[in-house]
Amino acid sequence: MAEEPFDADKVDSAAPPKGGSIVLRDRFLISGDKPLPNLDSPNAQAYMAEDRRDFSRDLFALVCSPGIPPRTDAMRRLKSDPGAGALELVDWGSAFWPLIGRRTVVIIYERPLGGRVFEQIKNNRARINEYDIPRKIIQPLVAALRHMASINVPHRAVRPDNIYFIDEECQEIVLGECVTSPEGFDQPIMFEPLERALASPAGRGKGSMVDDMYSLGASIVVLALGVNPIERMKGEDLLFRRTNMSSYATICGNARVPILLLEPLRGLLSDTPNERWGLDEIEKWLNGLKQTPQQKKAAKKGDTPFRFGGRDHTNVRTLAHAFNRQIPEAVRVLKDETFHAWLKRSAGEGDLSDSLKGFIDTSAFHKDGMQGSDEFLVARCCAAMDPLGPIRYKGVSVYVDGLGPMLAMEVIRNGNVQILTEIVLRDIYQFWTSDRAVFMDTVEAASVFAQVKAWLTNNVAGQGLERALYELNQGLACQSSHISDDGIIFIEDLLPALDHAAGQVEGKSKPTDRHVTAFIAARFNEDILPHLKALTAQKESTSVIGMLSLLAFLQWKLKAEPVYGLASWIGGLLGPAINGYHSRTTRREIKREIPKLVRKGSLPDMFDLIDNAEKRQEDQNGYADAVEEYAISAHEIENIEGTGSELTEKAEKIGQKAAATISIITTMIAMTIMFITEML
Amino acid sequence: MNVKSIVWGLLILVLLLMAALPTVMVIAFGMLPGMVAFIVDRTEERSATFCVGGLNLCGVFPYLLELWTEDHSLEMASSQLTDVFVLAVMYGGACMGWMLYLSLPPVIASFIQVMAERRLQQRRKTQSDILKEWGNEVIEDANLGAGIAPAPVAEESQKETAAA
Repeated sequence: MAEEPFDADKVDSAAPPKGGSIVLRDRFLISGDKPLPNLDSPNAQAYMAEDRRDFSRDLFALVCSPGIPPRTDAMRRLKSDPGAGALELVDWGSAFWPLIGRRTVVIIYERPLGGRVFEQIKNNRARINEYDIPRKIIQPLVAALRHMASINVPHRAVRPDNIYFIDEECQEIVLGECVTSPEGFDQPIMFEPLERALASPAGRGKGSMVDDMYSLGASIVVLALGVNPIERMKGEDLLFRRTNMSSYATICGNARVPILLLEPLRGLLSDTPNERWGLDEIEKWLNGLKQTPQQKKAAKKGDTPFRFGGRDHTNVRTLAHAFNRQIPEAVRVLKDETFHAWLKRSAGEGDLSDSLKGFIDTSAFHKDGMQGSDEFLVARCCAAMDPLGPIRYKGVSVYVDGLGPMLAMEVIRNGNVQILTEIVLRDIYQFWTSDRAVFMDTVEAASVFAQVKAWLTNNVAGQGLERALYELNQGLACQSSHISDDGIIFIEDLLPALDHAAGQVEGKSKPTDRHVTAFIAARFNEDILPHLKALTAQKESTSVIGMLSLLAFLQWKLKAEPVYGLASWIGGLLGPAINGYHSRTTRREIKREIPKLVRKGSLPDMFDLIDNAEKRQEDQNGYADAVEEYAISAHEIENIEGTGSELTEKAEKIGQKAAATISIITTMIAMTIMFITEML
Repeated sequence: MNVKSIVWGLLILVLLLMAALPTVMVIAFGMLPGMVAFIVDRTEERSATFCVGGLNLCGVFPYLLELWTEDHSLEMASSQLTDVFVLAVMYGGACMGWMLYLSLPPVIASFIQVMAERRLQQRRKTQSDILKEWGNEVIEDANLGAGIAPAPVAEESQKETAAA
């Protein structure tokens, strides 16, 4: 009998045995024992998938690596608006994947039956001559990119091994997936535009269609030639060469590129983003319209090289890249007149030299402050030397719109987050955002940084670094130590995951750690600021009530299922909140009620029990009365006890007065009686 | 006491002596204990004076009535003042007044003391109940002045706080 497939949608169900199949959304059967390695992405494994409602569909599933934040926003848009020319994203979701024993994002795609175009060409199973390239390759890819531009989803993963034949006859070409990792993360340096390739893979940024056009150009070269002309050139060498010679010259320089393609390739591979061919230009070219030929432009080079970091530099951009790696040495060079003489005479960068000297003077003026530090000086100089390049600071290179994924990767890999936060908190990014108006919206980039800075400097729960992390990475799973293995990326899955985690909790740790609160703040579209402020309160009772109110609000708003484990977990933490009541009777009543509510799994009921406004008011009033009564009693006791013989004296005086009064009254009565008797 | 008061006093006394010498004689002799009490009682309230004087007057008054209704003469007054029984009644009233003055205050004091003890116990119990129900923080919030000792801390309340 076949093993029953595991319902992967349930967050809190027990893990099935490894190696099984799963069913996503009660519809898509994904077979863990049927991998499709030829459809793997660099950060996602492909498996056979079936639509249980339509067995005729050819599908496959991509199971994302849990440590990499996928592009969920792009998934939503591509699912709701699939276009021609790209693999159809049929569905996606978060599911428990038995092979890795944890939840991750699973994406269902239409299965390309013809395999990867590049492999088919290399293996001579598909023949595309140079005259077929515009119609068979460029046209469908441009159509796909045009659609993606229309839904504001740059592909950022255009490369030869991510282009497929959708049909078995290898006639129709489609673009592969682009959502299993951050934008540009999987791109080899050759297929990333130079300014973004200079950044770390995770920090290459969201980018735009301008960047996809470069990747398209580089991919066309490889597909047209059937081989990668610079396959042996890797990493720093390739970057150095591209910066010195231009990308076009590096990629096409020694290759026999068909003459027909020279014009579009020169436009697409331009290293100046605002001069690069866009969709309109390539479509005009496809339609046979002549373009103004773009001149082959070499990068600005000096006459004589300047040696730094073991390389001979003829270009200030490569120097900026090298300076960021060796800061003390860079500072020495920047203060050396020989360097400035080279800049002026050989590189023809007299103005730049003056600017750099100005920065050095400013740094000397602020020598005791942060602005006087070597790192700050080098960052500022790098920005001036390579204004189109990534933000460079303390050895880190991140593109202006790439902070989010970079931050996510550093957090996931326990890397150095400090440098990235310094870029924001010390306004390092402003050196770059001021120079980019030519090809990207710097106002938007600066506003993102300003918002991140506001989060980082806010001490309220749900803010800080974690908030920035989840706001900038919509596909990032909650990194809380309680549920990090559950791969929770949707707010709806959070409570069941915490409920499941309740069984493994040790000590008095709270379910709402910094990651959980920031995750809620970023993903839950309701006003939760009052809850977060209460959660941040110094007073433990207020903080506990804040925690309960936040989770209760979440359960109520999301209409979540009962959470018995979580209710029990929270119930054990409510001591300070219960002690917030003055009345011992009320405390005892609440303690008696809690187990009943734990059995109901209802956090709103629990919150109502703990923080009932009427009950709270009654308690306050009762307490105020008790304090007053206590004070009155104390004063009365003091009056009664007096000071030693005072009471006796007082009593004696009262006795004497009483005796006098009795005597007078008796006399008056007696006299009246005697008088009346005498008169009668 | 100024000269004017003394003059007025003497004038009234002379007039009384002229108009009602027998009455003045009986009062002067019969109220001697009351006058003594007035002289020895230096308190502000004059409780002893009122107590002794009142009952002394009670003993004198029947003979004054007899004097006023039967024969308001010096002979009658003399015969009354020389009668031992009459003097015994007059001074016996004063004696009862002294006895009342001396015996009643301790009784009243004891009664008040008992009442105060009882009130004290009630108040202490109230405080203890308050602490038991509302906890020891009441003592701090009651903001008692220096010298007012807080009530003993309720043990149960202490245990609950410790448990929490």
